Amino acid sequence: MTEKKTVLHVGIDLGTSRSSISASNGEKHVVDSYVGWPLDMVAKKVLKKAVLIGREAVDNRPMLDLHRPLEQGLIKDGSDKDEAAVRELLWHLLSLVGVARETRNGMKVRAVVGVPAEALRVNKQHVRKAMQDAVDNLLIVSEPFAVAYGLEALLHTMIIDIGAGTTDFCVMNGRLPSEEDQRTLTQAGDWIDEQLSRLMRERYPEARFSVHMVREWKETSSFVGQTKNPVLVTVPVNGKPTQLDISQEMRQACEGILPPLVESMLDLLSRVQPEYQERVRNNVIVSGGTGLIRGLGPRLEQDLAAVGGGKVRVVKDPVFVGSDGGLSIAMDAPDSDWEKLSG
Amino acid sequence: MANFDRLKRRLVQDLVQENVDLIRGHVRPPRRRRQRFRFAGALALLLPALVLFGSSGLVSTLSVAANPPRRGAAAAGELRPSSSLPGRPAAIAAPTSSVAVASPARTPGAEPAVDASVFPLAIRKIAIDAGHGGDSLGTRTPSGLLEKDVTLDIADRLRRILEDGKSFQVLMTRDSDRAVSLEERAAYANRMGADIFVSVHVNWIGNREARGVETYFLGPTDDPFLTRLAAAENRDSGYSLADMRPLLERIYAGVRQDKSRKLAEMVQASLFRSLGKVNPRMEDRGVKSAPFIVLLATQMPAILAEVSCLSNEEEGRLLAKPLYRQYIAEALASGLRSYAGFAQGIAEKGI
Repeated sequence: MTEKKTVLHVGIDLGTSRSSISASNGEKHVVDSYVGWPLDMVAKKVLKKAVLIGREAVDNRPMLDLHRPLEQGLIKDGSDKDEAAVRELLWHLLSLVGVARETRNGMKVRAVVGVPAEALRVNKQHVRKAMQDAVDNLLIVSEPFAVAYGLEALLHTMIIDIGAGTTDFCVMNGRLPSEEDQRTLTQAGDWIDEQLSRLMRERYPEARFSVHMVREWKETSSFVGQTKNPVLVTVPVNGKPTQLDISQEMRQACEGILPPLVESMLDLLSRVQPEYQERVRNNVIVSGGTGLIRGLGPRLEQDLAAVGGGKVRVVKDPVFVGSDGGLSIAMDAPDSDWEKLSG
Repeated sequence: MANFDRLKRRLVQDLVQENVDLIRGHVRPPRRRRQRFRFAGALALLLPALVLFGSSGLVSTLSVAANPPRRGAAAAGELRPSSSLPGRPAAIAAPTSSVAVASPARTPGAEPAVDASVFPLAIRKIAIDAGHGGDSLGTRTPSGLLEKDVTLDIADRLRRILEDGKSFQVLMTRDSDRAVSLEERAAYANRMGADIFVSVHVNWIGNREARGVETYFLGPTDDPFLTRLAAAENRDSGYSLADMRPLLERIYAGVRQDKSRKLAEMVQASLFRSLGKVNPRMEDRGVKSAPFIVLLATQMPAILAEVSCLSNEEEGRLLAKPLYRQYIAEALASGLRSYAGFAQGIAEKGI
């Protein structure tokens, strides 16, 4: 007699910057998408671990061969180390929700994983390959679709999911979005970091700062339009901690994503059947960590005014919105569907 | 509420089916609704510069896609599959309405008199060859975009465009990410009686600033760069040097070379004219001859199109966009249609 395995459903949002997991046992976790291996025996002795993941890896980066294995939301291809890093990240996420490595505690794990809207078939195959030993069944879904499903915004809605590596657009028409309903831009959070770094180097050539510092400044102080409070940061300048006002640079870097973002939004809107365009304009949902840029929602509404007006809703807690959506899909799919995906 | 649950159920079913296809390596036609209207809309919004350029190039390419030529449609209706002449290549068995050409197909007794190298026949079967595949990755960008994936995607888009028009039967040398030797590709096209053969590749040029499109037909070259390029592309050919020698001798002076050159010129012109509108800095790198095995071993007019340069950062970025790959496919289709029209025109004039 075979014992029926307990089934654990999980939704995973593999992000360039952060990855989150939501599980049917109620566990939810988010980790920075960094994986590091100790550089040498000394580092291994100090760190007492074979591999470090997430914030722990970032904090100990001088002692690590540090990898951020996802680029523009996709597994970097061609580097064994990056592929191994993705596997480590996935196993770590699964361990956080109670799935033991190798044995999986005897559970059957069914996962839904989000990938960027315009991921090529082969990118999806890479995800499948990376996860083949970690889960029993896997369903790959476009990230904005997972967000839409989780928010139950499946009809006449536009999702704009602004992450670190990509900005994904998806118009939901009550059917699985086709290629024409989706767009992916590479102007997203990382792009803003690069612009901000460049602008700061131009204005403060003597200042010393890292990409990790820039990322933190953006996450706490990004804005478009006007701000009442100046953005002040402290960095070493010629060795002395110095406070700098980077408000102008922050605004310029953040507003840099607006032209392609607005163009893609209006382009996709123009392709919606005319009778539904107004409904979609009034149901624009901005999600993702970079979607939290202050003033972004009102600014997009200004641009929508040029085509008849609309409403933009920003998801206030975007961390788990993708993985929660994935979990909803996982739990809604019946056993018969999952059985088709065991290959 | 029940309706909403039904909607969710249907979406999950579709999603599962999409994943099952992915696992099995099936390439499904995309769900396209009002595609032609949408494409026109996309151009209106994304490419305002087209207004300045007028209605040629990409616009005409797309309008052709939206309205397949009447002649082609009519010909499709009149044509019979190659089985009407068992064992004969389709180029011979599938003539269009031309009296001069159609007669042999309808009159079995006339069959032995037909010689494809003498009579210009209409184009019915097109073999599309997606470069590389499987372990043969081709070129790649630092971010991991691989030539083998790009070529497969473009080839599949091209197939759909050509099949939509109902004028052509399309043969794919590969429709999934698998390794196929150059010998097998050519043999497949030969066996299936393809009328023309187009191999889709993406270029890599040492000078990262270089960009653009170029199209090859079979011939010798003294250019060391082209010799290296041909050697790289021929690596997985499945042919030995001994195999190549008689092939080379047979082909270089053939009528097929002239047809291949004409085909290359038409495809190159279409690629440059159309893609130049969306990629204004694109260079016309011209029509060239080189000894690519896949062109050598095919028995019909054959070309190899390098449809962009992955070595160029901007073109690499563009190639990652489905819309740009669609433009490439549309441009290739337009060039192939032009050649088909040209071939049919000659056939009708009885030149």
